[in-house]
Amino acid sequence: MSLGDALFGAFAMPFMGRALFVMLVLAVVAGVIGVLVNLRGLEFITDGLTHAVFPGLAIGLALGGTAGLIPGAAVAALAAALVLTWLDRAGITSDAAIAIVLTATFSVGVIVVSRSDDYAGELEALLFGRVLTVPPEQLVPLVGVSLLALLAIGITMKQQLLRAFDPAGSRAVGDSALVLDLVLNAAVALVVVAASATIGSLLVLALLIVPGAVARLVTVHLWWLFPIAAAFAAIAAWLGLASNYAISIGAGVDLPAGATIVAVFVAGYALVLATALLLGLIGRPRAARAGEA
Amino acid sequence: MTSMTDPVLELRGAAFTHPGGSGVSGLDFAIAPGEAVALVGPNGAGKSTLLKGLLGLVPKTAGRVLIAGSDHAANGMIGFLPQTAELDPEFPITLEQVVMQGRYRKLGLFRWPGRADRAAVRRALDAVGLAPLAKRRYGGLSGGQRQRGLLARALASEPVLLLLDEPFNGLDQPNREALIDTLRRLKRERVSVLVSTHDLELARQVCDAVLFVNREQLAFGPVDEVLTLDNVQECFEGVEVEVDEHTLVVPGHEGH
Repeated sequence: MSLGDALFGAFAMPFMGRALFVMLVLAVVAGVIGVLVNLRGLEFITDGLTHAVFPGLAIGLALGGTAGLIPGAAVAALAAALVLTWLDRAGITSDAAIAIVLTATFSVGVIVVSRSDDYAGELEALLFGRVLTVPPEQLVPLVGVSLLALLAIGITMKQQLLRAFDPAGSRAVGDSALVLDLVLNAAVALVVVAASATIGSLLVLALLIVPGAVARLVTVHLWWLFPIAAAFAAIAAWLGLASNYAISIGAGVDLPAGATIVAVFVAGYALVLATALLLGLIGRPRAARAGEA
Repeated sequence: MTSMTDPVLELRGAAFTHPGGSGVSGLDFAIAPGEAVALVGPNGAGKSTLLKGLLGLVPKTAGRVLIAGSDHAANGMIGFLPQTAELDPEFPITLEQVVMQGRYRKLGLFRWPGRADRAAVRRALDAVGLAPLAKRRYGGLSGGQRQRGLLARALASEPVLLLLDEPFNGLDQPNREALIDTLRRLKRERVSVLVSTHDLELARQVCDAVLFVNREQLAFGPVDEVLTLDNVQECFEGVEVEVDEHTLVVPGHEGH
């Protein structure tokens, strides 16, 4: 198998083409929203959402088969977004409280899944995704959910950035912190929903966190963060699928696709981090950087 | 009375109280167009509470607050200069982008900045003397430049009333003078100013009136009549104050 086959030819096959299409949509949306997650320091809530979505996926699957995945996850994610927004505003961010909530929801999910006939198979699919077997009829809901998230963030972008930079100033100009937080958390929840059905609820976090972190390493220009994060995510998703295909078909080692994609994301981050360190973009004392500006 | 002399801000028996219970009460004063009022009191006296109450960030629990004669402040009438220490210096944003935030309220959710907004940003940066640094990263500026940048953001919103929270804390002499110049120019343009400060010398230099608070309003009136040693003593009770570039310790029962 040639390099060209893995990078391009493989995607002529319908299941690979669908996987690439879904991953590209997801990567771009997660990249853009991930920048805000990074600027707001919301990694914690994002992590919480990825866990809370799991019982929704499980219940959706139990009630409606694979067609129930997205509705189930959407209900769970939006409920979790409400609860986590409230916990955060109430100042309840103790690790113990959150850990109890998250493990509780997770165990509910496992119990629901354990009632199904193919326990191990279903559990694996929910946790680690089924990107290579996304059914064609799921494309529209997946893209719809992703675009809805992007739209919500696009409309409130100016206000989200002001809130990230200057929370008091944001309230002073009359923006509702509650509304902005709900919109952002709901957008994150929608991405988690779309991603859970493809790369699995445990691996979504990489999609939301890594591209934003890469963009922060590469640039200090606000408006460049978003295209850089989206481009990184798209390229990493493509290379992830291509290398999974090359290893699975070319070398005959059957790797899970979602995990391979995440591995490529993390490898990309490591590469950018190493380059930034070598070029001296980061790692210098704060004072030195402040002084030269 | 014509509309030109109607007060921009008028408080009648107003109180602002945090949900926790602390607050500031008995507020009874008015600010005319182009008038500057110094808000003076020791730390914890409720100066910030008063400013945040006017912005609607702390609940009003008594009395009336009229802004331009109305119970509800119209969008973008009040500019606010917060204390700079609260902002993350690592945030990836340029000075120009910070100043543009001053336009967001006028733009609302669906519009993005246009030519008029960029012009307002340039004027605001010119007004505080930072136009050459427009493209610099905000976090890389000196403390005084950041403070002037936030003032430019408040100016870009073209307010009729400007609230400043301790804007002179930690400023060196050039930045201090730049800020004083800007305040004087604003007054000429009929912008009203309410500025909280420890610095009584500043109150004398740029303000027309002084408002003493310590949990409640203690005194309000023209600088010449109200900025007296008696009032300062009553308000500060043993805290260091600066008058004419000298630091005095006002006698009190404990001292600090």
